[in-house]
Amino acid sequence: MNHPERPSFDQELAASLSRGRAVAVPGFADRVVEAVRGERRRRVVVRWSSIATAAAACCVAILSLAFPTEASLNRQTLALVARDESSQFADLLGAADDLSLLSPAVDKPSVVDVLNATGS
Amino acid sequence: MAQEEPTLPDDEDDKRLMALIAEGDDDALRLLVHRHHARLVGYLRGEVGSQATAEELAMEVFIRLHRAAARWRPEAKLSTYLIHIAHNLVLNEWRRRGRKPTTALEFAAEPGDTSQQSARRVAELDEAFQRAIAQLPPEQRTAILLIVQQELPYEDIAVIMGVPVSSVKTWIHRARARLRDLLKDFHGNP
Repeated sequence: MNHPERPSFDQELAASLSRGRAVAVPGFADRVVEAVRGERRRRVVVRWSSIATAAAACCVAILSLAFPTEASLNRQTLALVARDESSQFADLLGAADDLSLLSPAVDKPSVVDVLNATGS
Repeated sequence: MAQEEPTLPDDEDDKRLMALIAEGDDDALRLLVHRHHARLVGYLRGEVGSQATAEELAMEVFIRLHRAAARWRPEAKLSTYLIHIAHNLVLNEWRRRGRKPTTALEFAAEPGDTSQQSARRVAELDEAFQRAIAQLPPEQRTAILLIVQQELPYEDIAVIMGVPVSSVKTWIHRARARLRDLLKDFHGNP
């Protein structure tokens, strides 16, 4: 059966596809704008959250340094005590050295002399 | 922003709107979406076969466009850029679905689709073409949709698909032949 006025395959393909070329969706632009605003709000929240997290981390670090824990206080105290003892010991030794240097050079009596003196 | 008809050509006005969008002008975005969404949804519907999915993807295209507005350089027409983004999203959608883009059943007429198409044959013909296009390999389907449906030149299609023009021509040639074969019973042999 002939179809003398029937369009060619390419014409029908073009006609069919062109009918679906543009599909207008009512209210679509408003939906997009709303979605973009939502995303913008999320980004602001995320940005401020990260800033707040960083600020909180800084505060914790500052507080940790300004107010040491009990354990670190104990360690610091022990270290101070140890340093003091050693300095005192060093002072003593130093003073003894100074005294020996300053003492007059006299002959010490021998052990035999001492025994003889007590025996007599 | 007022809905007056711009005196600039669309391409130039698109550039102006993109600059405004980059500054956070939502009215400019609304106008741009209003101008371009119908063709974008039409193309995406041809690709994925579902009105709902096409609208979701089109929404994502415009959200990505908004994100990139500050970096956008008008090297090509905005409509081409939009379809380029859409094509990438379609590729992702196919990967997500496990390669096969859609089933032919998804092309069953949706409510309102044919409200303006009173002729029964037209509706049948459209459905037959859509089913046949759904059976094409993805590259052929994209190429034939862009050349026949969106009436884009070969060069733009090559840019959108990221392939040489010769590949585009080959795919279109094969797509036509395949469609002719798939629809020979419906259309009849010449």
